[in-house]
Amino acid sequence: MKRRNFVKSLALASAGTPILLNEMKFQSIGKKLFDVSKSADDRVLVIIRLNGGNDGLNTVIPRDQYSDLTIQRNNIIIPESLVLPLTNEVGLHPVMTGMKGMYDSGKLGIIQNVGYPEQNRSHFRSMDIWSSGLIDTAATTGWLGRDFDNHYPNYPDAYPDAQNPDPFAISMGYEVSSTCQGLMANFSHAVNNPFDVYNLASSGAVDDGTYYGSHIDYLTTLIDQANAYGGQINTAANAGNTMSTMYDPNNPLAVQLQYVAQMISGGLQSKVYVLNIDGFDTHDAQVSATDTTTGTHADLMKRLSDAISAFQDDLQLLGLEHRVAGMTFSEFGRQIASNASRGTDHGDAAPLFLFGTCLDFSLMGNNPTVGSTIVNQAGIPMEVDFRDIYASILKDWFGVASSEIQSLFEHTVTFYPMLGACSLSVEEEDDLAQDKALIYPNPSFGNSTIRFAAQNEWVKIVVFDLMGRQVAEVFDGNLNQGRHDIKMELTDLQNGEYIVNIQKSSGSVSCNLLKAK
Amino acid sequence: MPDQGQGPGVSLSMTPYTGPWTKAEAAHLLRRTTFGPTNQEMLDAVTNGMNATVTTLLQLPAATQPLTYLAEETIAPFGATWVNSVYPSDPTAAQTVETARILSLAGWLMQRLNTEQLSIAEKMTLFWQNHFSANISADARASYEYFNLLYNSSLGNFKQLVKDVTIDPNMLLFLNGATNTLYSPNENYARELLELFTIGKGPQIGPGDYTNYTEDDVAAGAKILTGYIVDGLRSDTMTSVTSTFTPILHDTSTKTLSAHFGNAVITDNGANEYADYIDIIFQQDEVANHICRKLYRYFVNYDLTPIVESTVIAEMAATLIANNYDVLPVLTELFTSEHFYDISVRGALIKSPLEMIYSMMNSTGSVPAFNLETNYEMEVSMYWFAETMGQAYGSPPSVAGWPAYYQEPSYSKLWVNATHIKTRFDLSSWMTIYTGIPSGMESWKVDALGFVDNLSLPADAPTVIDDICDVFSPKGVDATQKLILKAILTNSLPDFEWTLQYNEYQANPGDPMYSDPVKYRVELVLARFFQMPEFHTA
Repeated sequence: MKRRNFVKSLALASAGTPILLNEMKFQSIGKKLFDVSKSADDRVLVIIRLNGGNDGLNTVIPRDQYSDLTIQRNNIIIPESLVLPLTNEVGLHPVMTGMKGMYDSGKLGIIQNVGYPEQNRSHFRSMDIWSSGLIDTAATTGWLGRDFDNHYPNYPDAYPDAQNPDPFAISMGYEVSSTCQGLMANFSHAVNNPFDVYNLASSGAVDDGTYYGSHIDYLTTLIDQANAYGGQINTAANAGNTMSTMYDPNNPLAVQLQYVAQMISGGLQSKVYVLNIDGFDTHDAQVSATDTTTGTHADLMKRLSDAISAFQDDLQLLGLEHRVAGMTFSEFGRQIASNASRGTDHGDAAPLFLFGTCLDFSLMGNNPTVGSTIVNQAGIPMEVDFRDIYASILKDWFGVASSEIQSLFEHTVTFYPMLGACSLSVEEEDDLAQDKALIYPNPSFGNSTIRFAAQNEWVKIVVFDLMGRQVAEVFDGNLNQGRHDIKMELTDLQNGEYIVNIQKSSGSVSCNLLKAK
Repeated sequence: MPDQGQGPGVSLSMTPYTGPWTKAEAAHLLRRTTFGPTNQEMLDAVTNGMNATVTTLLQLPAATQPLTYLAEETIAPFGATWVNSVYPSDPTAAQTVETARILSLAGWLMQRLNTEQLSIAEKMTLFWQNHFSANISADARASYEYFNLLYNSSLGNFKQLVKDVTIDPNMLLFLNGATNTLYSPNENYARELLELFTIGKGPQIGPGDYTNYTEDDVAAGAKILTGYIVDGLRSDTMTSVTSTFTPILHDTSTKTLSAHFGNAVITDNGANEYADYIDIIFQQDEVANHICRKLYRYFVNYDLTPIVESTVIAEMAATLIANNYDVLPVLTELFTSEHFYDISVRGALIKSPLEMIYSMMNSTGSVPAFNLETNYEMEVSMYWFAETMGQAYGSPPSVAGWPAYYQEPSYSKLWVNATHIKTRFDLSSWMTIYTGIPSGMESWKVDALGFVDNLSLPADAPTVIDDICDVFSPKGVDATQKLILKAILTNSLPDFEWTLQYNEYQANPGDPMYSDPVKYRVELVLARFFQMPEFHTA
């Protein structure tokens, strides 16, 4: 039998499946499959601010320098045996089991030594720098706000509109994030609880052209927007879902991330969510007197790790993993040597986390070098400029053109591969021929996506092992003409090489897949 | 930025204001210097004139003390103050008492804002709380003393206040001064002393150099400040928390400051070395500029343009320096200046949550008048409402204070976003047309009848609306809005129907059949007004 005939007969065979079952199958998995992000437009970035300056050396711990670390921070050091190992050189704080699991499955990326030249050790100035992405000029706009301004000029006037019914960004809690500050107004909408119902009175007051008038105008716009956006958020929250059982209702960050999952799954089109966790300014008693693995900093790390891993679990269950990526940031790290109050003072660079399934990397950059001599006030020197991380995220995740990204910053931008594992460049996209397919990420850590082109035809995707045995069926149904991204859940597969076969009426395509842990 | 902001015709003069002195000018002064003036206070200020009103405002009423109102306070008797009471020896019992004291402290702070008195003292105390921003510490007695210090020094000498705050136990605890020792300098307070409390941080002009000071100055300052420890925290024998200088913990080495302080050398002076250091910091005139900018943004306008900097701020700073950092002459100059009354700066601020809450309550003369416990509980509820809207008095979000007072470019706009405006609206409905704040059998809400009775012509509907607009909006309300408000007051009936209703209520005192309809109509008008943008500006 010729190959083509084999495929056709397969097609006929599957036509015998009861219609109802086919429909149901299509609907139940189909929604999930077709929700995979098709373009940068429905991608979401979640930013978590660690307010106060996180102690990077007790978060991502350089395991290869324990004797020096013991000299530098004897009263706060985590016992070496309790550190959660990621590699031989690097480990995590013992409470960060959730994020360790994410690292192991390729969903957590760590960038070492992130900061900026000539670190400013003032909380306020440094937070302004991180929020604005600007160092030399006064920080009156946020890095995301400037990008929004490029795409939605004249905000907030005339928004929301038919094309943009939802807030461009959401700040969880009561404050709007200065990362989203645009020229005229903040692009983020503060949401404390997305189920709150808005029905605020509006007013006919007018702007008289003075400071007073500008406030009246601001308040009037705010009230109208609050009603409009509030309604959209309500609708999304009520339509949305959350499936993970890992959220701890006593962990405020987890509660907020659960709300975020609820809003995203409910179809809210906001592109950015900003969350905040306070308390990182650990000048004293960052560890408890009796056990350095407990105390203020450990509690914060646990909250962060538990909340993010619950959120990632939820996204996976909701089939939203490929649409959502996350990032943490803090205004600075802390000094290498601890002080006598079991705390640490303001320092320089620190590690930064990215999370999601579309990461291009697990660990980027070298371990910080702590040295055996205590140098007064010494911090960790910067190696990766945080502005380049912003730039790379804009490029990889939101598909912003390089030239436009460069225009947002003062320095010459360097792009790193960060969140490109789920993307294809525009050129590659156009070239995706009928006989090609691409799996990403590959090697797969459990969840990958296969991208291919189809005509209006029936398609079936099957995974075979090297012995030719079918080990998984990924998809079976009709597809429209065009490019498709089909998610493959491969968590059950053992590590090793596989062949993924796309059977289509127009011709079959095969490609290799490597499953790894 | 508004076009006419600091354009032609705006007076930048600090010479005494001699223009018209009407209810509008008097109300502007009272709105900026107190929490919620009444219609009568505005009329009195017109009668008394600007100078006499400013003199009255700049007096400091006697301080009060927080009182015991909860059964959990097992040491101090009910109705007496606990500020000099010990704690139980058992830590768990001490924690229970501490919780009762913190709630009493919160209620007391709100009660002070809710007290009708023609004084700037509470506005200035909040200014200093925003400036120094120490959170409530682990011992309510220390926190009380700190707030008391801010109140008693609110109209005093800035340099002395910085010295007093530097060794105040609550501050020593808040910014780790209490653990800053020879053996392990902790830079936390030393940094904020320069960056926020005195000279302020300029642009970074070199590695570790912030124009007005350097990282080395921070390190030197930490050494200078070593040696103060805090005693008596939650003590079962000591009746107050004290700060004590402990010579063996003090770094006696000679410290040299950077060129920004003329390379000043500070030699060991034990317990008084911190004061020597503060004297040297205050030799730099930038200290005066820094604090005058903050005063300006707090009392006048967030937009501090280069022209304002070179005129208004320069003159305020000169006055402050000429008076060796006494703040009273600067405030007197400011509140009697042409610039302060310029039309361009009226209504230029958005009310903070505390201003919003107490402009509703104070301007309507609404104070909880139940028993001690109920009164405290109601004010504590207000404390939480203010916290929800972004202004918890005892715990500013960071040591820089509330972002609405310093964060470019939005400043006071940061007080209201989509979440906060909803809370404001919900609270205003609650305090007017709904049940108010309940406690036990009682409920505290806006006193609509007392308010309307004290207006200039309560039986005349248009005058009632005019007065309400004068009291609650800095630039009035347009004719259409006034008609809407009047229609709410009269239930869309002819004006004389309101007059009849009001007069019947007056003729039948104490009869709810006549008073309830009047009360409800006024509540409806206030509910509407509190949800208008005009109300949220000051």
